[in-house]
Amino acid sequence: MKRNWTPIAIVAVAALGLWQVASGAYIHAKAWLAQELIASAWTRTLEGEREVKPWPWADTWPIARLQMIDKDVDLYVLADASGRSLAFGPGYVNGTAAIGDGNTVLAGHRDTHFAFLRDLQPGDEFAIQTADGRERRFQLNETHVIDSRHQRLQFDENVDATITLLTCYPFDAITPGGPLRYVAVAGIK
Amino acid sequence: MQRNNKQRQPRFRAKAEHSFAALFCLWILLAVAPITQAQTVEQEIGSGSLTVRDDQGRAIDAPRMETAVRMKVSGIVARVEVSQRFHNESDAWVEGVYAFPLPEHSAVDTLRMKIGERIVVGEIREKEQAQKIFEQARQQGQRASVVHQQRPNLFRTAVANIGPGETIEIVIGYLQIVDQDAGRYSLRFPLTITPRYIPGVDVNTEARLTSETPIAALTLAVPGDDTATLGDLQPRLAHAHPQRQSVSMEIDIDAGAPMEHITSPYHPILVDATERGAQIKLRNQQSPPDRDFELSWAPVVKSEPAIALFREPTDQGEHVLLMFMPPQESRPINTPREVIFVIDTSGSMSGESINQARAALMNGLRTLQPADRFTVIQFNSVHEALFDEPVSASEENLSRAQRYVRNLHATGGTEMLPALLTALSMPESREHLRQVIFITDAAVGNEDQLMLAIRQQLGSARLFTVGIGSAPNGHFLRNAARTGRGTFTYIGSIDEVESKMTALLNKLTSPVLTDIELNWPAGVVPEYAPASIGDLYAGEPIVVTARLQSPAKGTLSISGRTNGTWTRQISLNGMQPRTGVASLWARNRIGDLMDSRANGATDDSIRGSVLPLALQYQLVSNYTSLVAVDRTPARPDGESLHSRRIPNTKPNGLDWPAEGVPSTATPAQLNFAIGALLLLAALGWQLRERRLQRRQPQ
Repeated sequence: MKRNWTPIAIVAVAALGLWQVASGAYIHAKAWLAQELIASAWTRTLEGEREVKPWPWADTWPIARLQMIDKDVDLYVLADASGRSLAFGPGYVNGTAAIGDGNTVLAGHRDTHFAFLRDLQPGDEFAIQTADGRERRFQLNETHVIDSRHQRLQFDENVDATITLLTCYPFDAITPGGPLRYVAVAGIK
Repeated sequence: MQRNNKQRQPRFRAKAEHSFAALFCLWILLAVAPITQAQTVEQEIGSGSLTVRDDQGRAIDAPRMETAVRMKVSGIVARVEVSQRFHNESDAWVEGVYAFPLPEHSAVDTLRMKIGERIVVGEIREKEQAQKIFEQARQQGQRASVVHQQRPNLFRTAVANIGPGETIEIVIGYLQIVDQDAGRYSLRFPLTITPRYIPGVDVNTEARLTSETPIAALTLAVPGDDTATLGDLQPRLAHAHPQRQSVSMEIDIDAGAPMEHITSPYHPILVDATERGAQIKLRNQQSPPDRDFELSWAPVVKSEPAIALFREPTDQGEHVLLMFMPPQESRPINTPREVIFVIDTSGSMSGESINQARAALMNGLRTLQPADRFTVIQFNSVHEALFDEPVSASEENLSRAQRYVRNLHATGGTEMLPALLTALSMPESREHLRQVIFITDAAVGNEDQLMLAIRQQLGSARLFTVGIGSAPNGHFLRNAARTGRGTFTYIGSIDEVESKMTALLNKLTSPVLTDIELNWPAGVVPEYAPASIGDLYAGEPIVVTARLQSPAKGTLSISGRTNGTWTRQISLNGMQPRTGVASLWARNRIGDLMDSRANGATDDSIRGSVLPLALQYQLVSNYTSLVAVDRTPARPDGESLHSRRIPNTKPNGLDWPAEGVPSTATPAQLNFAIGALLLLAALGWQLRERRLQRRQPQ
């Protein structure tokens, strides 16, 4: 009798589907869990240690804590914005000014850590604590969208402390890697 | 009964399955719908440029700055004046702070401040004292300026109390020896700074920098370095904007004979050739300072022996500058080579630089002979070797290496030290000549650590540095090559890769000139700077400065060894006097003393010998600065002074922010969508199967 492969194929397709859903869930789980692990690294950083790696094989470390109490946002900002680091938290974009000393750019994933950006309105405030324990308050001035294929971030050179939060856009796009970026600019209060 | 049951059960199951299917459809609709919604939102927000306002809605601009460079080249010495004009276009009193690079080994000896018609000449002072004088003047509302050296090739000026609408010009002067290689002369002028990476330093803990910051607070966690400031090594960058910052160049070359092949690979120039040389200026005298300037030329007649000998007697003694082109050996060496390519794939290399680096590396791979051995190491925040130790340059290994190189991307930090140590500690073979070829922009701040590693770990290897990009750290690359007994090659654009790498290959495969000795007439005790001449490669001249106790007469004999030994006699009687020779000697001597830190000299002993030398010869150094104060008070009491840092122009071709715009979306949504579709497909298929099965019995 000819073997009927159909049930096996159906199970295989279903398994593939489940695997995909699990992969998606894993990304979210990792994003959440990493932040929990980084919390203790941050405590040690505030106590004076430098470059505290949240887990032994990590190649990044927290440099700041971004909080927005009313929106339930509490994020540890990592030292770089490479793809590896962004899976675990928002990252500081190398080459931009240090926090509190000009135009700082922080980048995060639009569907995990920086998903809250879509709800921000000009006038909203957030606080950033740096490794020296100092806390600065920033107020959102404006938001806009740029196309990274032919537009660059434009900075006013002379403003003292500005935080630019950067994430992908649109927030609900299914495929990653699009050229649009959502830019939220906050000045020091 | 049985039949009934059989029919009923599937029907029930089908019902349940239908509702699942409906749920999945709904889920997918939910997942897809926001995309269309988002696209309309985007149109509402629109895309545009970013404007940032300060709290009062009023921004005080940094002064606009024009740089004018005037060079006067006579023979092999260049006298350069860099004028920086600070225009204050705001209605407040401002101070301009500007960090800028100068060529390595430039002897900075002049500062003039021009306010309208008046000129105030700067004086050399011990660094702390200069800063104190400057700050005092600054507080009293007097116009003042100061020039500090931050790194051997990085300087910082501050100009205080520029009135509303006022322009203050400062002129910085220095001397430099013209480079000579394979019969061509060249001059480089760096115009901007590539942000440097400093291992172990957290940018975000560093305090802000203004001219008020006390010198002691400008320290940085780089061992033995007390002058670097993070603000200068991680400069704020501005996009090239000719209205804010521009540069012009005027170069007057007196070669004593007609010149040819005058080229400027990175800037269009206008050349006015004369009988004795040429006058050159930039075609666009308002060029953005976003890439280094380079000019090279050759004398029309090359047959005469290339010797240049100059003297300058001062109170400190007789100073001599000698340049001599040794006889060239044309036979190539036959020893097989063992080449370790080390390539920088850090974030600062992103953009045009990594393309150049890849092309240079590909070119280097092509030059390997079957008997040679090689490997490739790349580094950014971590490093990785293609082969753990050098392998034979077989076709298979080479094609693997080419694939590897094609896939190199620039991202992350610049942890150069571990990569360098890995390269230098690879097991050496006796039958091969070990050559390390280091391709990087050297955007690093821990130069001293790296130099120490090279000095200690080099063994019998030779280190060749290849500088890449619009503004590499030339001082470090040149010094590393000298310490590594190799050469420094600068590649500024992709078009040059071929010619520069061919010239490098010529050096790699030609015999090295060693054991260079100078024999002075009896009774003459020379103090050389640099203290040792080192080995030379094909086409490189011997360049020596020396201080003698008394003028020398008679003949100087120079000897060296390539395949055989040779000796040349040079008469000292016809030496031409030339101002600047003493300063050049002192600058080289200071360079040697600063480098002695790597051999274990303490900071105190270095300071003890450099400080008097720099004060005597009136040079800016690690411990001395130039300060100029206009005693007339300018700023009225009660008007406050605003300090503004002038951003450096982003090096051309550097993606900025350094890593480009990061990708900021995860594939989670896509995973969910694909997963949902697959589950739905499986479900639909299952339903169809059931329906077919039900039909079959009838």
